[in-house]
Amino acid sequence: MKRRNFLILGSVLSLSPYIDAKASNDFEKQFRKVKNLIAAVQSHMFPEGSKIPSASAMDVNTFLFETITHKSYDKDIRVFILEGAEELELQTKGRFLSMDTKEKEKALRTYENTSYGSNWLSRIMTVTMEGIFSDPVYGSNKKEAGWKALNAYGGLPRPKTRYVAL
Amino acid sequence: MTSHKYDVVIVGSGASGGAVAYTLCKAGYKVAVLEKGRLIKRDEFSKDELAYCRRDIVTPNLFDEYHVIEEEVDGKWEATPTYDSGWSFWNGNVVGGSSNFMSGMLHRMHPDDFRLKSKYGEIKGANVVDWPISYADMEPYYLKAEEVVGISGKYEKHPFEPPRSTPDFTQPPTKENAVVKLLDKSCANLDIKSLVTARSVLSKNKGHREACYYSNFCGSYGCSSGAKGSSREALLMPALATGNLTLLSNSYVKLLHSSSKNAVDYAVVIDTVSGKEKRIEAKLFVVAAQAHESTRLLLNSANKFHPHGLGNSSGELGKNLIFSAGGSGQGELREESLKMIKFEELMQTGLFVNRSILDWYFVDHWWDGTFKGGSVEFMFEHQNIISRARKNNEEHGRLVWGSELGEKVTERFTKQKSIRFEIFNDWLPNDNCFVSLDKTHKDKYGMPVGKLRVGAHPQDLKVGKYIAKKCEKVLEEMGAKNIYSSVSPVPPQNLIAGGCRFGNDPETSILNKYCQSHDIPNLFVADASFMPTGGSVPYTWTIYANAFRVADQIVKVLEEKQIV
Ligand SMILES: Cc1cc2nc3c(=O)[nH]c(=O)nc-3n(C[C@H](O)[C@H](O)[C@H](O)COP(=O)(O)OP(=O)(O)OC[C@H]3O[C@@H](n4cnc5c(N)ncnc54)[C@H](O)[C@@H]3O)c2cc1C
Ligand code: SF4
Repeated sequence: MKRRNFLILGSVLSLSPYIDAKASNDFEKQFRKVKNLIAAVQSHMFPEGSKIPSASAMDVNTFLFETITHKSYDKDIRVFILEGAEELELQTKGRFLSMDTKEKEKALRTYENTSYGSNWLSRIMTVTMEGIFSDPVYGSNKKEAGWKALNAYGGLPRPKTRYVAL
Repeated sequence: MTSHKYDVVIVGSGASGGAVAYTLCKAGYKVAVLEKGRLIKRDEFSKDELAYCRRDIVTPNLFDEYHVIEEEVDGKWEATPTYDSGWSFWNGNVVGGSSNFMSGMLHRMHPDDFRLKSKYGEIKGANVVDWPISYADMEPYYLKAEEVVGISGKYEKHPFEPPRSTPDFTQPPTKENAVVKLLDKSCANLDIKSLVTARSVLSKNKGHREACYYSNFCGSYGCSSGAKGSSREALLMPALATGNLTLLSNSYVKLLHSSSKNAVDYAVVIDTVSGKEKRIEAKLFVVAAQAHESTRLLLNSANKFHPHGLGNSSGELGKNLIFSAGGSGQGELREESLKMIKFEELMQTGLFVNRSILDWYFVDHWWDGTFKGGSVEFMFEHQNIISRARKNNEEHGRLVWGSELGEKVTERFTKQKSIRFEIFNDWLPNDNCFVSLDKTHKDKYGMPVGKLRVGAHPQDLKVGKYIAKKCEKVLEEMGAKNIYSSVSPVPPQNLIAGGCRFGNDPETSILNKYCQSHDIPNLFVADASFMPTGGSVPYTWTIYANAFRVADQIVKVLEEKQIV
């Protein structure tokens, strides 16, 4: 049950500079480096033309950034999300963004072969689903498209603020 | 004689603390409730899955406050702080405690649960003892809880349904999904009796609280109508109305201070917003912080008069921690194979399943043998959208994504509804289940954190599996598909009791039969810590009832000026 261990082991970077990236604009800078890569992974997992709304239409990349930078988010997982992206970048020799769908599929399935990679992909999927299926107040699930696709709706009352205005 | 601002200080505002505050305030005593969490009012609650179910919004951040859990791995006890595992043992740390977030399926314990040892004899490796009180002592308080907290239900005669002193509940059962027709019929086919579950949810308006509006998101969420019988709605609000209650939220109690052998004189409290420390004095102190934390507080209050923790002359403090043993299972009721009821009826949201089975509470069978069994609750799978969407999306150990994921998730939501059962059986008290203080880990206030060893007795698993098999048969009879169940020795962190056993002998118990410390007359423990055995039902009705009973004794002690 040692979460921290599996988060750290397996990445060649091992809890690198991000742990010190205390100031939020620092973090934003780090995030910007991997933003497009993460967005591409999200889009690959949640493409257009599926029965559930696509990552790009739901703007889940913004959601992901706002989520992991919020103080309620586990600080280890925040770092893990960035490191996992860098790791993928390394493994694909910086080519991921220019790959076609087939190549991306292959690259991600290869990444999934390691438990580190599979944990990271699973985490990206979770955060993305959190966006698509959470209350629209969080900025994703636009016009309740996520809920409509499932014919399942959040209960009443709906939140007026994010995170009970913590 | 010293004069205090407060007659009584209560640590913790949850189910047990609320019941004590209610009783004492109504009796005219000045009470301060110290609650470490913030206040979330009825109209601030919402059904925000992200906030309530996926982030630590109503519980402490695990890097700030946590537990250390000791589990047996390959024959050795391995300790893991919960910030490492993510396995939180907090259940709701706001005004009203975990009771805000409960599902509220309630049962009384059976009369034989009060005398388990006499009834079933010794079990090797388990520290089973009889309670120092009987069901008859508790019954009036079960009834009081039913009326004050507002428990709805319907009494049906059954060999294992405890007797009651009034014919029926004042609040009729909550509304039910049509699936109960199918469930009842299927049980009847198998010669099983399904019973209506009692629930701490109002089916009718009651005073300042409105009836349930079947929001579809009950367990893990705060209630926006006041229907749920949380301590905050049912007990603290009326207590506040007396003018005798001072409710201090954001007040973390570090320890209870005593400057003599036989009295506590003040609580040392940190204001969690300003960080300032203060002392709060009272004549009498009631600890109601939920079992594991109450023990921790008493251990952290050790001093030269009580070197091993307050009230711990017996050395029993923290021992015999118990949980609710059991497990759960579920199956899919699918559109194409649904019997008896219409698919649209099944898919109607919000209404409860409200059924339990007590047939296996005590098993006495020519082949299976004679043993203490357990109870079963039926319900729909929790309706959370994100967590349902995230489930079962792996195939051959790989994540499913792309349009295949879209197919899978929409299918899951629109073509079936999953029905579930939960089993509750005795967690046998044993030497490998206890609370102590961790020697190195401290919370952000500098206090040692509780270390919980969570060993289970093999009998618990046997019983759980026995019942799970029976329940799978019920789901099969209902026509459910993809049925599975899981029974494991992993404790449910929301159903905790024990650690400060009550008993008549000060050498083997912490509390007397009124849950008053044997060693320190002005110290009571009101939550589930007192329970030597837990019964085979969820605890909270018993927690409410017992806290009302303890409160009556406190009133007596104060009236008779046994403590000044
Ligand atoms: C999701 C969920 C579902 C549940 N469903 C059911 C159910 O269906 N049936 C059932 O019987 N039970 C259920 N329960 C369990 C039920 O909520 C608890 O048994 C009950 O609330 C316990 O009451 P308590 O007074 O011991 O503790 P709580 O209600 O947890 O209250 C303890 C309070 O003490 C405070 N506290 C702790 N330490 C300190 C300190 N040092 N200083 C100040 N304050 C402190 C805490 O913040 C908390 O508010 C459920 C619980 C949860 C979380
Ligand atoms: S309205 Fe009913 S279902 Fe909703 S939280 Fe309150 S008691 Fe539960």
